[in-house]
Amino acid sequence: MSDKPEKFIDENGLRLDGRRVNEMRPMKMEIGVLTRADGSCYLEWGKNKVLAAVYGPRELHPRRLQKSDSALIRYRYNMAAFSVEERIRPGPSRRSIEISKVSREAFEPVVMTHLYPGAVIDVFAEVLQADAGTRTAAINAASMALADAGIPMKGLVSACAVGKVDGQLVLDLDKPEDNYGDADIPMAMTSDGEITLLQMDGDVTQEEFKKAIEMCKEGCRQILEMQKETLKKKFTKLEEVEISDDEEEVDVSALVECTLASEEEVDDVSEDALGEGATGDDEDLEDSDIEEDLEDSDIDEDLEDSDIEEDLEDSDIEEDLEDSDMADEDAEGDEEDELEESFRNLEETDIPEDDKEKIV
Amino acid sequence: MEREIVIPGQLLSENKTDSGPGTYVKDGNVYSLLYGVKNAKNKISVIPFSGKYIPSPGDYVIGTVIEVTPSNWIFDISSPYDGLLHVSEYPRRVDQDKMTEIMDFGGSALLRIKDVSSSMKVELTMRERGLRALNVGRIIEITPAKVPRVIGHGGSMVSLLKKETNCEIFVGQNGRIWIRGKDGEMDLLTEAIELIVKHSHKSGLTDRISLFLKGGDDVVSEKDEPFLKDDLAKDAEDECEIREETYRKVDALLEDDG
Amino acid sequence: MGNEVMSVLKKDYIYNLMLKGKRQDGRAFDKIRNIDLRTNVIEKAEGSAWIKLGETEVLVGVKLQVGSPFPDSPGEGVIITSMELNPIASPDFEAGPPKEGAIEMARVTDRGIRESGAIDLSKLCITEGEEVWIVFIDIHVLNNAGNIQDASSLGAIAALLTATVPVEREGRGEDMPIPVRDMPISVTLVDIGGEMMVDPDLNEETVCDSRITIVSNQDGSISGMQKSGDGALTEEKLLKAVSLACQKASELRETHLLNI
Repeated sequence: MSDKPEKFIDENGLRLDGRRVNEMRPMKMEIGVLTRADGSCYLEWGKNKVLAAVYGPRELHPRRLQKSDSALIRYRYNMAAFSVEERIRPGPSRRSIEISKVSREAFEPVVMTHLYPGAVIDVFAEVLQADAGTRTAAINAASMALADAGIPMKGLVSACAVGKVDGQLVLDLDKPEDNYGDADIPMAMTSDGEITLLQMDGDVTQEEFKKAIEMCKEGCRQILEMQKETLKKKFTKLEEVEISDDEEEVDVSALVECTLASEEEVDDVSEDALGEGATGDDEDLEDSDIEEDLEDSDIDEDLEDSDIEEDLEDSDIEEDLEDSDMADEDAEGDEEDELEESFRNLEETDIPEDDKEKIV
Repeated sequence: MEREIVIPGQLLSENKTDSGPGTYVKDGNVYSLLYGVKNAKNKISVIPFSGKYIPSPGDYVIGTVIEVTPSNWIFDISSPYDGLLHVSEYPRRVDQDKMTEIMDFGGSALLRIKDVSSSMKVELTMRERGLRALNVGRIIEITPAKVPRVIGHGGSMVSLLKKETNCEIFVGQNGRIWIRGKDGEMDLLTEAIELIVKHSHKSGLTDRISLFLKGGDDVVSEKDEPFLKDDLAKDAEDECEIREETYRKVDALLEDDG
Repeated sequence: MGNEVMSVLKKDYIYNLMLKGKRQDGRAFDKIRNIDLRTNVIEKAEGSAWIKLGETEVLVGVKLQVGSPFPDSPGEGVIITSMELNPIASPDFEAGPPKEGAIEMARVTDRGIRESGAIDLSKLCITEGEEVWIVFIDIHVLNNAGNIQDASSLGAIAALLTATVPVEREGRGEDMPIPVRDMPISVTLVDIGGEMMVDPDLNEETVCDSRITIVSNQDGSISGMQKSGDGALTEEKLLKAVSLACQKASELRETHLLNI
């Protein structure tokens, strides 16, 4: 390793790599780079190369880890064995475990975890090449991957570090500044400037710290702009965005009409496929009755049907009590539910004839 | 512009009553929760570009059996939460020891979500017309955010797909689509659905797909943007037309049954 | 964690398609997916390769360190190949120590390189019995869309071809390239009702119950093989697989390695 440079900032106020004190290294990013992940982002920042991916919300095993009122966020910061000068052993280290923890906490305040009780949102950040500032690079990428995965968030998180070299505060430390500088203060912020990650090692005065926050804020603001731009250009570069009104919500009635309703024509096929013997005839009988009647008498008829259905359900429940693991908690609610349901589904209620026979 | 791409945390309105799905209110202002498209029709909502399916009562879904317990089939419904189909929610009476004969591990079924508890226990039902186990056909998976586009306004897209390919289609709200028809027709339909997903943000989608299905292969290529320009109004018209047709089709079907 | 279930319908669809001689992505049975290979992508590594095989993505980094030789080969350098199936690469991968699948693939890659004599290990000896170069080949799987094995092997040899021995860094003279003598290439096939199919994608891997990996060299000799999966193979199929694999390996070498 090279020795400590004599001076980090020259007489023109330029740093070793030619940057000004408040200037960041060039950054570029791209989202949606991995096909298996739900969201992903590749980010280069100076010589840092990181890849972040989000999986979830998804089911969490083992169950004992589940939080009943919200989703768990897991964050795994991992360095590739070849990402640094001296090869590192693959797998977690004390350093990577600590970084994973504070990075996860940087996202806790913005991710709407309560929308997914019991689930987990996994964030994986792989450092492919490290060159000072990997944890902040990883957070910037992870923030984009979360957005790409469609995870609801109050806002993006952006991160950068301020350090001290030659007694001066500088934005976004590079490798020599990081190795030999007097202080390193990585921070992550929400879009409205709330600080969600803060670490510091070294030596700064309170005044300097105050100034460091301001510098970080400005750095994060610039990063946020780049993040915004990356997200917005992903679709606009392809086409003018024009969405018709049907994008708003799934039109369930249309769905039923267009898919389920017409399944009637193939009912017989499906019954056969089930290998349950022919039952289609019975239904035809009912259907033809309905067809001959007017709309309202239709309902009358169905009302009767739904009464039968209720009875049927009741007796089902009694039977099920013996063998069902769900029965206990559900039996009470079921009667009411069924009643409500049968009204709701007036036009859809349909009881196969053979069921009736069995029950009666 | 009414519609624009928005990102989480973006200010959408200074009037908190505008807050619709995909947004949140802070200090009286409305912000986006999601990366997606802003829709300011009545309230302001944000339609995400991606995201997992979260079960909601009344939804139609396609599930795959991952476990059969003494009284439940447990279904993967392409969601963080599995669904339970209690044996009593099967259309016919089933003996416990016969459950796997009806649906076993890996089997697929058309289902409806009956109830979702606050702890996200999802109860399914099959006691409704058309719902059943699937033993033939194919299942295509798309991101649930694109489901409305595959259905189309008032079912226009689905009707078009059915008409042009002669396939049966069932669009699950969880992003799984079941299709059934001749091999070649299913291939065509699969391709059409891929196109819908790929071009879901474009206007004139129904026209494009219609052209594609009628054999005009390259009408859906990236290059033919000009074709879009004056298309907006026409598109709306067409969708109305197809909607009418849908109703007629459904009516006809009902009559056939009688 | 959620091992994704494949529905019977999907399985049947893919299987039946294959029985008809077709593949879901329209490839012929002997066609390998598109390969995009970029070398020297990680400046901090002595050699590296980022390979995309269809949608499968693998990043291979080569690092060298000075260490002690194995007692039974005091005059030779050492190769250590490891693979991590990172959870970033698939919903089915979990964090934690490498599982049997990862270890198997790393060892198959390792054997291919070692047994082919691809690297002249005697040239990696510094002082016999005391100091030799240790070559670390680290395989970082980024996106698993099937056949990580072949992507890893190709990535590994490409990374080796671009790697430099950092002699200068250690103050022991001038840098030199890694003495690569051969280019072993693995080609994996899966067995499907009588036919063998190269470069399986994820679905095909799931549907087929056995696969065979064959590592072959420039002169057509074979330096490594592995049958994997719970199915069985006939002798006839195996021989067919070997000849197809050698032919494919030679094509891959031609297109992707000879120009490095």
